[in-house]
Amino acid sequence: MKPILTAALSTVFLVTTASSVLADPAAGKAAFEAKGCGDCHYTAGPAKEKTIDDQLAKKGPELWYAGSKFQKDWLGKWLADPKPIRPMKFNVLTEENPGDHPKLAGADAASVADFLMSLTSTDVPAGKVKPKKNPKGRQIFIKKMPCSGCHQYAGRKNKISGGRSGPSLVDAGVRLNPDWILAYLKNPKVFKPVKMMPVFTGLLSDKDMMNVARYVANFKPKKKK
Amino acid sequence: MKNLMIIAAVAALASQLAMAPVGAAETEKVFKFYCAQCHGLTGKGDGPNVTKDFPVSPRNFTNAKEMNKLSDADLKNVIMDGGPSVSKSPMMPPWGKTLNAEEVDGLIKHLRVLCKCKGKQG
Ligand code: HEC
Ligand code: HEC
Ligand code: HEC
Repeated sequence: MKPILTAALSTVFLVTTASSVLADPAAGKAAFEAKGCGDCHYTAGPAKEKTIDDQLAKKGPELWYAGSKFQKDWLGKWLADPKPIRPMKFNVLTEENPGDHPKLAGADAASVADFLMSLTSTDVPAGKVKPKKNPKGRQIFIKKMPCSGCHQYAGRKNKISGGRSGPSLVDAGVRLNPDWILAYLKNPKVFKPVKMMPVFTGLLSDKDMMNVARYVANFKPKKKK
Repeated sequence: MKNLMIIAAVAALASQLAMAPVGAAETEKVFKFYCAQCHGLTGKGDGPNVTKDFPVSPRNFTNAKEMNKLSDADLKNVIMDGGPSVSKSPMMPPWGKTLNAEEVDGLIKHLRVLCKCKGKQG
């Protein structure tokens, strides 16, 4: 009797909270803290990392500009059902990603997504990058520059190719804000002062950064035939 | 008087330490952070990026025969400007905008420790 009652009660609770989560960053912030997310992620900018040791001491990626980096639809879904983004375990080169990221129940996922989307960076100019099939960007990503050496992407016939040390960019166009991709390539130190990815500022022209950003932002699931 | 001399000596030593090039431990950290993803933690060319799709094998730094073909200046060029600068694969990235001069010099010494070789002279 009792478990049924609590189950019924919690369903009612879930339904009411789920329907009342129209953008409530404050509730999301509370849930973020209550669930211990802050043990592994910091949410106050600017970037804190100064040395390799600082970067390696982190237990999860920084989230202080999450609202500029991610797409909201993706974020809400991922928090409720996280799938590995990095092929390798965070900050470890010798172990696979265990795929054990904490999960949030639907209502919490929505409010935490609202909270994270409220964390933005002024260094991401909006409306610059239009995702587009881009042969020049493809050329840079696969041939001219080593991007594909460290990042997975869906190549011909949807075959996953590429390296494994960087976050997978398969379907990156669904996950990442196209404008953030460009801002990160142009000005990487603002977001990630110490990282395993080389700085390309000054090595790729502004035009080529735009081409490769548009190309990556266009990585989306192919429609099933 | 004697004390003063000791203080002077200690001060000189301290300033020398401060100017010393990046130490071996620090360099190993730099290598493991940036280079091991392709070249492997022990430099054998077997980092996690090297799957069967990887188009070229990253140099095995423990191969003294191959590494002896390269001078320290060759190493510096390829580390700073990437594979294409020495007619090698673009899969070897340019690190000139990422690493400072001391870090690059430290890495060259580290590669010579890994290959147990001196490299092409002159
Ligand atoms: C034990 C440490 C840990 C805890 C606790 C944790 N995370 Fe994470 N989080 C990680 C790691 C590691 C990754 C990288 C996962 C991957 O690449 O698949 C990650 C990735 C993320 C990402 C994607 C970031 C990016 O740049 O790719 C978001 C968003 C996120 N976590 C939110 C949360 C929220 C919300 C919570 C609380 C419910 C939480 N995390 C709890 C370790 C943690
Ligand atoms: C030597 C390996 C390496 C190369 C080469 C490389 N990357 Fe990266 N990249 C990484 C790593 C590692 C990260 C994660 C950095 C971090 O979060 O600390 C990253 C992050 C990214 C991100 C953000 C992904 C996310 O979810 O956080 C994008 C976009 C990206 N790289 C694009 C590129 C492009 C475009 C190129 C080529 C111009 C490139 N990368 C070349 C290793 C690499
Ligand atoms: C994205 C993968 C990748 C990363 C990261 C990487 N390398 Fe390489 N490196 C390669 C590949 C591939 C080659 C072989 C190129 C060829 O033979 O065409 C190579 C070759 C070299 C060579 C030999 C060049 C020659 O003329 O034969 C040196 C020296 C070198 N790398 C140093 C480094 C150092 C130092 C780092 C870290 C700062 C580093 N590499 C990081 C992929 C990488």
